[in-house]
Amino acid sequence: MMAAAVAVNGTASSSDWDGRYYHVDQILDRPGPRTDPSFLAGDEVKEFLREKCKILVIGAGGLGCEILANLALSGFKDIHVIDMDTIDISNLNRQFLFRPKDVGNSKAIVAAEFIMNRVPGVKVTPYFGKIQDKDEDYYMQFNLIICGLDSVEARRWINATLVNMVDPENPESLKPLIDGGTEGFKGQARVILPTVTSCYECSLDMLNKPTAFPICTIANTPRLPEHCIEWASVLEWPRVHGEKKMDTDNPEHISWLYQIALARAKEFKIEGVTYSLTQGVVKNIIPAIASTNAIIAASCCNEAFKIATSSAAYLNNYFMLIGTDSVYSYTFEHEKRQDCPVCGGESLDITVNKEWTVDRLIEVLVERQDIQVKKPSLSAPGKQIYFQAPPQLEEATRPNLEKKVSELVPDGGEITVTATTLPFNLSLRVKYI
Amino acid sequence: MSQTESRDIQQATTSVASGQPDAKTRRYDRQLRIWAASGQAALEASRILLVSSSATSTSILKNLVLPGIGHFSILDSAITSPADAGNNFFLNARQSIGKPRAQEAVPLLRELNDAVQGEAVLKDVSELLSTEQGKDWIGSFSLVIAHNLKKDSLEQLSALLWANPNGPPLISVRSAGFLAEFHIQYHEHCVSQTHSETAPSLRITRPFPALLEWARSVDLQNMDSTDHGHLPSVVILVRAVDEWRKSHDGNLPKTPAEKKEFKSNMLAMRVKPDEENFEEAEAQAWRVWSEPAIPSDVQSLFSLPPLATSPRHNATFHALLETLAEFTKDPSGPGTLPISATLPDMKADTKSYVQLQNLYRQAAEVEKNKFKEIFAAKHPEIAKTANPDEVDTFVKNAHHLRVLRGKQLGAFDKDRDAIVNSLSMQPREAATHLALTALSALLSREAEVTVDALNTEVQAIIGEGIEFPDELDAAIGEVARAPTADLPNTAAFLGGLVAQEAIKVITEQYVPLNGYCVVDLIDSWTGIIG
Ligand SMILES: [Zn+2]
Repeated sequence: MMAAAVAVNGTASSSDWDGRYYHVDQILDRPGPRTDPSFLAGDEVKEFLREKCKILVIGAGGLGCEILANLALSGFKDIHVIDMDTIDISNLNRQFLFRPKDVGNSKAIVAAEFIMNRVPGVKVTPYFGKIQDKDEDYYMQFNLIICGLDSVEARRWINATLVNMVDPENPESLKPLIDGGTEGFKGQARVILPTVTSCYECSLDMLNKPTAFPICTIANTPRLPEHCIEWASVLEWPRVHGEKKMDTDNPEHISWLYQIALARAKEFKIEGVTYSLTQGVVKNIIPAIASTNAIIAASCCNEAFKIATSSAAYLNNYFMLIGTDSVYSYTFEHEKRQDCPVCGGESLDITVNKEWTVDRLIEVLVERQDIQVKKPSLSAPGKQIYFQAPPQLEEATRPNLEKKVSELVPDGGEITVTATTLPFNLSLRVKYI
Repeated sequence: MSQTESRDIQQATTSVASGQPDAKTRRYDRQLRIWAASGQAALEASRILLVSSSATSTSILKNLVLPGIGHFSILDSAITSPADAGNNFFLNARQSIGKPRAQEAVPLLRELNDAVQGEAVLKDVSELLSTEQGKDWIGSFSLVIAHNLKKDSLEQLSALLWANPNGPPLISVRSAGFLAEFHIQYHEHCVSQTHSETAPSLRITRPFPALLEWARSVDLQNMDSTDHGHLPSVVILVRAVDEWRKSHDGNLPKTPAEKKEFKSNMLAMRVKPDEENFEEAEAQAWRVWSEPAIPSDVQSLFSLPPLATSPRHNATFHALLETLAEFTKDPSGPGTLPISATLPDMKADTKSYVQLQNLYRQAAEVEKNKFKEIFAAKHPEIAKTANPDEVDTFVKNAHHLRVLRGKQLGAFDKDRDAIVNSLSMQPREAATHLALTALSALLSREAEVTVDALNTEVQAIIGEGIEFPDELDAAIGEVARAPTADLPNTAAFLGGLVAQEAIKVITEQYVPLNGYCVVDLIDSWTGIIG
């Protein structure tokens, strides 16, 4: 499908040597029994892959390092990479393009240099910054985008951006998005064709619910070491340090939290508060190993290679791996959600109790796994219901928190939800019971 | 995560009093949260032999060097070809062409982790297989991994390693283009730390004395209403079961009507309609009628026939398993597995939760001591020398033990009934396996790889009169398309999968593959066969 979407860039590379692509060319020189007839075996597909295809990798971490190496060896030669992070020592057990001397430097820049040194003729253009710094024109230049991120928020942003970019009049505006993620021995890879297949937002409810401890448990009835750690970070830090922001990468801050949590645990005779657990809870650390990243990154790059070359059918559309008990995987088509706020077009129906206050509705929205919003602002057509910011507007709308939703919005009426963490406006259709 | 586990991780990640970890443990932090200090120690003690330094082989090694195995050797006599320089990330591109491939790869792999030793042995495996010294050397590793080895060498290697049950397991990997498979050869693999996600029994229907006493002594009618709403659900359930038994000749609820009645009796103990602890108790009520005395997976281990070729280092595990069976039958014991010291979180106030937790810990300690007494009486020699940590780990994980018994590489192919059966039950896995097996036969004869030749080979394995499923045409066609292609993405995919299994085998944590794992990266699936 990609061979037609061409943006000419660069000329034949002088760094190739005879036999360099012996392995990959066995695939590109002839079709297999399951290859689509549109496959243009031979020089044409090789030229597209090696001279014309431009691919973006989002994230140069655990998945990103693997993705860059695989793409370079597969024959992609114009690769861009974005990452806002710098290298930390705890990355070195899996992010194999980094060495101890690189700690503190930009992941995107170090990774790009490493790949260009190791794989001649490949151009990797790094950007040390946020994906949100770039506009639609930037994303429009790529044929494909692979995402290896651990942030849900960033993935929602790029997903919504790519869905919005689709112009039915212009087929090249549809950018296939390949997304990978891992946790311990588990992971998933998926292919998203914005507006065509299910998107990242469609499957938000498949994510593990982040463990949130009720504030009353933390404050009054702690039972677990985690409750003591949350008490230290959520309640004690702001109480003692005021405006000073907690930096979870600062070992002194973690040590402080650890000591406070330990003291509280002692008071309540709770066992198990450790430095490692403290760090895990406050940084929300996800266990990660090289092997799982390798599997998922390979799967993502394999799909990118198949899409770019049409040499074989690509994944439709979700591959899930669980490696804890033997090797279990499940490949399936995740269905598009008609009421997906990003790609569905229909507004989301929400059942609201007639007695609910605006405050209660906000609580309910925050709890919902398929919405995942923090601090939402609400408005109805021509009416501000509640705004989290700026302060004047918050103050002006605050009295509405105590009012019943049913006094402000008619049955079947719409509420628009916005939030800084939400890369789109979510519209809800209210139904009262 | 259990508390003992987090303590184990803490020991691994902390060195100084302030609690801050040292550089090594900071480096390994993300993996220590998976396999803890004990798993890391096992990795660091391991010595791994890689036969070949193909792209797939170096991908596997990369994922073992990064987490910190002790040592690796690459056995490979190949000289770097232009093709190798194009698909292998652990070669210096054009500069490596013409130089020994393994020798070029070793420094680029070693630079991934200073703590790992590695060497290149520039010989062909057949040379080592022809001398006693060479065979001994191969047998001295913790694990042997081979990629796309010639059929006759692989068969010899597999026979050598199978002949010594105390020697290393063998992982053999075969790949061609988008298709691949790998097999793990071991006689027996025992795991206590399976990291199962199913919660062990809370022993609601078989409460230990202190728990029953608490449940009976609670004055539900007259207690403070806040305390009532914070009574742990376990105590509520034990109380409800106790009362039910008193009025039902000691029996538990069985019929749907009885189960419903049990729940409503229990909910009638509420003083307010919205007490969350009672809601929790209701949600956990299934434990009252659905929890077997011993989980069937563990029960089946008690009647496992002895295996003559069980590796020596499994002797302690088997002795512990026998002790466990004995423990469950002991008239003075609980009639079930030793209780787990880990209590899940539940709605409760701090005091009653901590009290309950302490009761479970004490009961677990008592039962563990009982277990150890039986162990010492039944297996005095082993008990004297057994590592106390191994015994503790076994008892702690008694609810999730696993024993895997494997087959020699190729045994599946000789079992015609099994092959024919799998062609109808798992056609895509069987077809891919057969196509790759046929390819191996052709390559070892240096015959031309064509669809017809592959078909003939497959026919020779499965015999006459069996109809080929469509999946076989698809797999054979794909193998004929790219018979010698070690694709970068397939190599990386296998690199991850094989390393993951290697880690599970070495650490004896989590559950490794038994048989063949078959991979198809066209339709993006994996499956297990054989
Ligand atoms: Zn969607």
